[in-house]
Amino acid sequence: MTAVTDTSRSASNKPSFVVCEGNEAAAIGVGLARPDVVAVYPITPQSSLVEHLSQMIADGRLQADLMNVEGEHAVMCGLQGVALAGGRTFTATCGPGLAFMFEPYVRTPGLRLPMVASLVTRDLLTPQCVWGGQQDAMVVREAGWIQMYCETVQEILDSTVMAYKIAEHRDVMLPINVCHDGNYLSFGVTRVEVPDQQDVDEFLGPPNTNWHIALDPLRPMGVDPLTGGAGGAGPRNFVRYRKGQVRGMQNALRVIREVHAAWGERFGRYHAPLVEEYRLDDADYALVTIGSMTGAAKDAIDIARDKGEAVGLIKIKTFRPFPLEAMVAALAKVKRIGVVDRSVSFGWNCGPLYQDTLGAIYHTGRAIPAISFIGGLAGADITVEHFARAIALTREAEWGRISSEPVWLNEND
Amino acid sequence: MGKCFSTLQFHTSRCDGCGDCMTACAQAKANTDDQAYSRIHILPKTAGEVVELALCRQCADPICVMNCPSGALSKNGDTGVIDWAESKCVNCLLCTAGCAYAGIVYEAKVGHVAKCDLCDGDPACVKVCPSEAIEYRTAARIFNAYAGKEDMFCRGLSACHGCNSELLIRHTMRMVGPDSVVAAPPGCIPGMGTVGYNGQTGAKVPIFHSLLTNTATMLAGVKMQYNRVGRDVTAIALAGDGGTSDAGFQSVSGAAERNDPILFICVDNEGYMNTGMQSSGVTPYGSWTSTTPVGGQMQGKRTEAKNLPIIMTMHNCSYVATASTAFLEDYYAKLEKAIKVAKTGMAYLHVHAPCPTGWRFPSGITTEVCRMQVRTNFVALWEYDPENGLRFTHPVDRPEPVADYLKMIGKYRHLSEEQIAHIQRTVDEKITYLRQLTVMAATRHPASVH
Repeated sequence: MTAVTDTSRSASNKPSFVVCEGNEAAAIGVGLARPDVVAVYPITPQSSLVEHLSQMIADGRLQADLMNVEGEHAVMCGLQGVALAGGRTFTATCGPGLAFMFEPYVRTPGLRLPMVASLVTRDLLTPQCVWGGQQDAMVVREAGWIQMYCETVQEILDSTVMAYKIAEHRDVMLPINVCHDGNYLSFGVTRVEVPDQQDVDEFLGPPNTNWHIALDPLRPMGVDPLTGGAGGAGPRNFVRYRKGQVRGMQNALRVIREVHAAWGERFGRYHAPLVEEYRLDDADYALVTIGSMTGAAKDAIDIARDKGEAVGLIKIKTFRPFPLEAMVAALAKVKRIGVVDRSVSFGWNCGPLYQDTLGAIYHTGRAIPAISFIGGLAGADITVEHFARAIALTREAEWGRISSEPVWLNEND
Repeated sequence: MGKCFSTLQFHTSRCDGCGDCMTACAQAKANTDDQAYSRIHILPKTAGEVVELALCRQCADPICVMNCPSGALSKNGDTGVIDWAESKCVNCLLCTAGCAYAGIVYEAKVGHVAKCDLCDGDPACVKVCPSEAIEYRTAARIFNAYAGKEDMFCRGLSACHGCNSELLIRHTMRMVGPDSVVAAPPGCIPGMGTVGYNGQTGAKVPIFHSLLTNTATMLAGVKMQYNRVGRDVTAIALAGDGGTSDAGFQSVSGAAERNDPILFICVDNEGYMNTGMQSSGVTPYGSWTSTTPVGGQMQGKRTEAKNLPIIMTMHNCSYVATASTAFLEDYYAKLEKAIKVAKTGMAYLHVHAPCPTGWRFPSGITTEVCRMQVRTNFVALWEYDPENGLRFTHPVDRPEPVADYLKMIGKYRHLSEEQIAHIQRTVDEKITYLRQLTVMAATRHPASVH
């Protein structure tokens, strides 16, 4: 990608502008966060992200150590070592790579290591597939990582930097996946604003990864002794540990809001931290979306609004922890809901986001009709036309007329 | 901490009674071939008895010295030898009455008592013994050198009775010292409580219960960060053979290929002993394990062990060596090198760790089993670095039959004659292969021949 420097950039603390793809935007965000170690292993459609980072390190633009390892499993293990020794880390993966990483991946939240890793979301095998889809991220939605889904290339850059501040917050101390859609965002090229390094340094502060758990001869401790079993202090210790981890996730809802607000104040870009409500206040019904599909969905909403339809949109930014309170507030405003997933729940014959939305509807205290739409699998495009169809079906959603089957948006493309 | 001294050890089973030791002693002490002047005496075999050696044990609490009324006998605080001063001796022979070993006796031809003085630390008898039946045991030197160093583990680790892995890790970490980070993947090492239970730890150094699959890479990350901030920390793995050769192999191989600056110790007890004695990739052919059982259709493991330390040399990492806890001097020399090497590159030590519980042998003979592994060439002790290639550190040119090793161990109890012959053949082949590597090394690097 060609970097286009804004001619107005002369004074310090002024942002610059580049035109780049989503993967490069993530790499720029990582660079601004100044990690100590970046561990890399390629996988489509993530590869160009770690290629950009490797080049930044090779050029000396990023003063990080580069860890070239033999697979995603090693990526996560090596970075756990770095974090336990006090370093700030980054990596990125997706799809089968995430599956291979799974063993150390599920351990990172339990170790309370505040890592940041991009998931350049990709559909899972099989059928063999190298294109976008959110099945990989949805499979690990209960692994204990925070998940934030980006809508735009700019949001990737901003969220990647913010993720470090959220993860390393003492009330959180949990790893974060900044998710952006493979293909649509990873290779989508737009103009993005790059904040000034000094501003970011002040915003983030120095890394603080191992004050609570360390492999450090100056603070010797046994890290992760066996805990549990029946009887004695084991089960009690384990429960307290788990409870603390769950509390950290809940604390993250507050911290994510605070950090997004602070980011907006400093850099002038206010991204919805948990849930974005779009033309919702006077809406009768709404779509729920996640990730890059939201852009086309908003266009479809605008078109429907122009035709007099009272339709709005609820976008999920933070999916884990699930933003229950924000979702309940949004859902309380409408009478019918259509949820568009870019993945499936094999157990429920619907999308996972739909399933969680039903859970949130319960908390509104009133049942409303809801339809599950599944689209955009394996790199398929969810177009304005697809959303128009989803809007039309949602408008007609009535008790007794809702199919128990999801609507597969790209089935007849 | 007290001091230990070297002494002579006699191996009854190896002595054929040739008497060369006595001749050497007589020559050294009286300049004669007359064995009457020897200060050690082979007690001839009688029916149903084994050979014994009358020899001064240089006791720590010597009765001869206590009995001596004239001050002729004294324990030398520097050498540990019981010194006898002819000028003070009154020939009362009370000393001989106190000695249970016939280590000090009246020699009629000489005209007074005589006893072994260890030839100032270079015993003549040891040098001439053709069957290594007399050893000058220098294990005490190791005790003296390292016993004063801090033990990095707490008391009361819960290893099985007779386990030498606990001995190994205590020795190892004394030498590595406190500026270290230990990773112990699932297995016997954490199983004995080194990482700890329910919030308590068994180690005084930072120690991590790593995954079976990630130990080497995780440590490489730890080391990378400390290098980055300019701190000298030894990153050391205490892993089992499963965490090294099987599920852990990708991680070990990756770290070795990158030559990550870590010290990786594989404690090889030939299987998953901690979790119930299942077979691993380095379980030897014929072994009974709980997943290679013995029955009508199966007679223990059907395939050979992979030769993991040789595979490690193929990675060209900075240092690879095998070791045995029965040869601690050899181990210490290698450990010392490995610690140094691990500051800049990967050092891999493959330590053989016979398991009384899983292999089914009495817990009192673990060290003897270790020793027999080496004496039969079932285990070869060698070291390798990319520059000098491979060399034996304890060559055994006249190995004892492998059958003598196998019969010590319950997991081989079922072996047929054919299976034993097969194992002997593979041991011979493996040692031949290693010899070829040493020849290659010597050809490439004449200076490295030892």
